[in-house]
Amino acid sequence: MGALTWIVVLPLLGFLVNGLAGNALGKRFVSVVGSGLPIASFLIAAASVAALLAHDSRPVIDVAFTWATFAGKPFEIAFYLDRLSAVMVLIVTGVGSLIHIYSTGYMHDDESYARFFAYLNLFLFFMLLLVLGRSLLVLFVGWEGVGLASYLLIGFWFEDPEKAAAGKKAFITNRVGDAGFLLGMFLLFFACGTLDMDRINATFAQGVPAGVTASLIGVLLFIGATGKSAQIPLHVWLPDAMAGPTPVSALIHAATMVTAGVYLVARMSGIYVHAEFASSVVATIGVLTAFFAATIALVQTDIKRVLAYSTVSQLGFMFLAAGVGAYGVAIFHVVTHAFFKACLFLGAGSVIHAMSGEQDIRKMGALAKKIPITFATFAISTAAIAGLPPLSGFFSKDEILWFAYGSSFGGSGWLLVLASATALMTAFYMFRLLWLTFFGSPRMDDEVRHHIHESPWSMTGVLIVLALLAALGGFFSIPHFLEPLLPLPKVRPEAQAFHGPLVWIAVGLGVGGLLLAAYFYADDGRRAAELKPSFEPLHRLLSGKYYIDELYDAVLGRPLTWISEKVFLRIGDRFLIDGSLDSLAALAQRSAGRLSKMQTGNLHLYALLVLAGIVGALAWSWRHG
Amino acid sequence: MDQVQWLLGLAVAIFAVGLLGVIVRRNLLVMLMCMELMLNGVNLSLVTFAHQMGEAVGAVLVFLIFVVATAEIAVAIPIVLLLVKRKGSLDLAAYTDLKG
Amino acid sequence: MIDALLARLDTLLMLVFGVGALGGAALMIVLREPMRVATALISTMVFLGGIYGLLGVHFIAAFQVLIYVGAVMVFMVYVIMLLDPRDPAIQRRFSRLLLPGVAGFALLIAALVAATWKVAPKPAAGAVEGFGLQQFAVAFLREYWLQFELTSVLLVAAIVAAVAVVRLNRRG
Repeated sequence: MGALTWIVVLPLLGFLVNGLAGNALGKRFVSVVGSGLPIASFLIAAASVAALLAHDSRPVIDVAFTWATFAGKPFEIAFYLDRLSAVMVLIVTGVGSLIHIYSTGYMHDDESYARFFAYLNLFLFFMLLLVLGRSLLVLFVGWEGVGLASYLLIGFWFEDPEKAAAGKKAFITNRVGDAGFLLGMFLLFFACGTLDMDRINATFAQGVPAGVTASLIGVLLFIGATGKSAQIPLHVWLPDAMAGPTPVSALIHAATMVTAGVYLVARMSGIYVHAEFASSVVATIGVLTAFFAATIALVQTDIKRVLAYSTVSQLGFMFLAAGVGAYGVAIFHVVTHAFFKACLFLGAGSVIHAMSGEQDIRKMGALAKKIPITFATFAISTAAIAGLPPLSGFFSKDEILWFAYGSSFGGSGWLLVLASATALMTAFYMFRLLWLTFFGSPRMDDEVRHHIHESPWSMTGVLIVLALLAALGGFFSIPHFLEPLLPLPKVRPEAQAFHGPLVWIAVGLGVGGLLLAAYFYADDGRRAAELKPSFEPLHRLLSGKYYIDELYDAVLGRPLTWISEKVFLRIGDRFLIDGSLDSLAALAQRSAGRLSKMQTGNLHLYALLVLAGIVGALAWSWRHG
Repeated sequence: MDQVQWLLGLAVAIFAVGLLGVIVRRNLLVMLMCMELMLNGVNLSLVTFAHQMGEAVGAVLVFLIFVVATAEIAVAIPIVLLLVKRKGSLDLAAYTDLKG
Repeated sequence: MIDALLARLDTLLMLVFGVGALGGAALMIVLREPMRVATALISTMVFLGGIYGLLGVHFIAAFQVLIYVGAVMVFMVYVIMLLDPRDPAIQRRFSRLLLPGVAGFALLIAALVAATWKVAPKPAAGAVEGFGLQQFAVAFLREYWLQFELTSVLLVAAIVAAVAVVRLNRRG
């Protein structure tokens, strides 16, 4: 078994051990196995990446086994390591291990401790299948598997029906997207005769194969990405997914699973460079999602909801970059986002832990001095997401803004305008969050206030590591690292002059957001509250998330329920199926009743029947010799 | 028609008449006697075959049938008597307890 | 002429006995009183005994008369004597299935005759005109001794049954 297979299999072992025997073996065992195996995966991954770079970055292919052979074409479970999957696997295992360590502290008092770690390891296994898979088939297995793990973990406290419903919503919304993904896969197999992604890219490098258009495939694959990465119109599940435990939100819905869609587009860049229409769809939906999610985040009052909409918005940025051909930049933002968003979510978890479970930011305040480590790491990550230099978020966001305008593959002014407005709002609502949570006067109950305490080292240690990465991660230029594989698009000549000023504008947006937030939300948001009545209708629209959930329910949910009830239940099930079975039984009963009339109890009749039988037997034997 | 055919035809006729009697007559005792007639018809056919083949098997079987018929009658008639004591009638139409 | 008759005596007697047996059987169906039916049956049995004798199996003929007529039919007659002639069963002769019965009878005759008519090969090479008691006894003691013993078991069972019936009768 090659190193790549080991990377994937170790978390699976963790799932099996913790899942089957975890409850019996005690929390310490579960923690060691549950966190240790991902760390082992990370170390093997690091070694493999080092080996890759030492060997001139020739892709490493590790075939585990052949799944099936169909019409002479084999479908193998094979793993593929090149620069792109190297970046992804290090993020998944690295940030994943950190979050596992965090969970040992956060979930310590939960009674289903072993089940939690089993599911987390299961998720890691599927995510690694996704990023290391060579063929779209393996990727799809991982894709579905992370959806499953997400469902299990969102609905982790399943006794609460709302949380269980949130898990269901996530899974079903994903599946809608997967229909598009599957169609895209079928078309690719039809066009290229294989599902191996490196071979597909090589085929498309020589021109689009006959019978398919690159844009059609691109759009279909993107529909799948919309579901998984929570873009419009399938974004509705991500905010509800905050019902799960906070480490789950950090790992799955910030750092790794939701970036699978971006990874897919980047990996299939060989197709997208030929698909102008599909790429413009990707960029447009990306920037619109970013904009609208940011507007909703402005008015959210639950600390995790703000971060959830922020994630949707940042994912929109990543797709914007991918849509204009800057795939390396999109992956760069995936990496920096993983650092600071994970840090933010885990910090929120630390705050919730300190506040004995309170999540409403209107009831927080003045926590900076009481939980200093959490505050410091949260502040650093907030600055990073706002794009303040020299933190990592500044570098990646600046590149995105630049290519949104300057790329010759679809960059334009209006993309830049929307993206910039979103960046401004991002800085604003993030600093709003920071101010309301950590500054001002304490707005919580006395009971809660007395229990405020800093989190244990298993949690704060991870926060510190992530904050350092969020601060320094930008200096490792991933677009440059990925350039041999994912070349950056050419810049439009008329945009070239704008490069320098754009950097200053980006910084200005970040600082501007900070100042505005400080102005409105210092002093417990007094000035914002004064402003609120004049914007009441707009506020209601944003708080209601543009009423999209209600729209889906009215257009899709209720008609489907009606059809299920009236057509399938009443007619199909009761009338047709039950009716046919009942009438078969009734038929048997009635015929038995008629036949029993033969039993008259009269011996004469029986003797006559014996005679008839004898005659019949004789006639038959006479006929047949 | 040679002798064997004629005798076999006779045996068949006697057997069929016996069976007809079982179906047609109402009196229990008469029905019993018709069953004896059926046995006789069978005996005749066995003797005919024994005569034709020259084997002793046919005669042996006829003798065994005698024994069985005797034992059967010895038990059947007391049963009939008991039944008649119960129902008070020899008419088969009265015995419909197994109906349904 | 007597000589011609005597030469064909076998066939003639066979014919007479056969018609007699058949006639007795037919009468059995038609007669009303059970005693008369019993008499018809006795006559049929005696005629059949005659046929056995003509075929050369004298001991079987003897057994026919001894056992069948002498034991079985006598028993039958005793029982008939015990019955009340005013029993309605004696008044009405036929069941409701008279017509279907007769139709079935005709079919049965047809089917059986069709089945057995082909069976008329020449007698086997070693066929004897009748065979003796000695052959019969030897066969019983050599090959068919098991059946012989089993019949004794059957008779014991019949005796036990008869005794039981007597007891039941007495108790009831």
